[in-house]
Amino acid sequence: MENLDAKTKNILKQLQNNFKLETKPFKRIANEVGCTEEEVIETIDNCCNNGIIKRIGAAVKPQNAGYSANALTAWKVPPEKIHEVGTELAEIKEVSHCYDRECPKGWDYNLFVMIHGRSKEELEEIIKNISERFDLKEYKVFNTVRELKKTSMKYF
Amino acid sequence: MECLMDEKDHEIMQILQNGFPLESEPFKVIGDKLWIDEHAVISRIVRLIQNGVIRYVGPFFDSRKLGYKGCLAAIDVPQERIDEVAEVINRFDEVTHNYLRDGSPNMWFTLITNSSERQQEILNTIKAETGIKDIMLFSSKKYFKVKVDL
Repeated sequence: MENLDAKTKNILKQLQNNFKLETKPFKRIANEVGCTEEEVIETIDNCCNNGIIKRIGAAVKPQNAGYSANALTAWKVPPEKIHEVGTELAEIKEVSHCYDRECPKGWDYNLFVMIHGRSKEELEEIIKNISERFDLKEYKVFNTVRELKKTSMKYF
Repeated sequence: MECLMDEKDHEIMQILQNGFPLESEPFKVIGDKLWIDEHAVISRIVRLIQNGVIRYVGPFFDSRKLGYKGCLAAIDVPQERIDEVAEVINRFDEVTHNYLRDGSPNMWFTLITNSSERQQEILNTIKAETGIKDIMLFSSKKYFKVKVDL
């Protein structure tokens, strides 16, 4: 964050708070910041390339895109296998989040994977396939019961 | 709910998921690919938001690159206290997701903070206000995927 110059910060702030569905969304940001539209697009492009912006796009509600059965799953994966398993799981369409996490004492399930199915049966099938494909026998399934909060972090 | 989306909507979703055009008129660029005009693209996206298919359109930042640390936390809450405890937890802006799940622990939330002091402060407040002392913490070591492209 400290590496960002004031103009970049300003542009990112406007992008976060003032991105509108209109014909020229970057022009609005340029007007707010007081620079050119080209500068806005270039700055955003740079931030996409250096990874500060992961992407510009849409966040979908899986349950409304036809995915009614959702679960957080946690898998016990040996450290030497975690890269292979994580990378391959990331390719699965029904997997939205896949994280290797530090675990507290007494908890051995280090790979956290969010999985979405169009039905409970489909969800269970995906979990079973993962278990067999990577020979992972120890895992936990936490089915989503209710969304209590979902927002985006305001960084700027 | 699937019936709320036709083929063009799916194509728009696909483009939104895979790379928003960084152009002066991005919705025109999208429309040109789909043989519809930019206003049709925009009104379709607006409708998808109204129908609840899309929650948000905009930038997704990498919290770590901005000096923030993401953490998954889990707490076991008795059934009759779910709403009350959720209210305490959800009050923090740094809590971006919170889900009730089956099994134990049953309440899973994410915490995005730019210092471990702030993280500790939030957790201590939750513990103090709910009286539930045990919160499991799972900080992220590496992410392989964060994207919902269904």
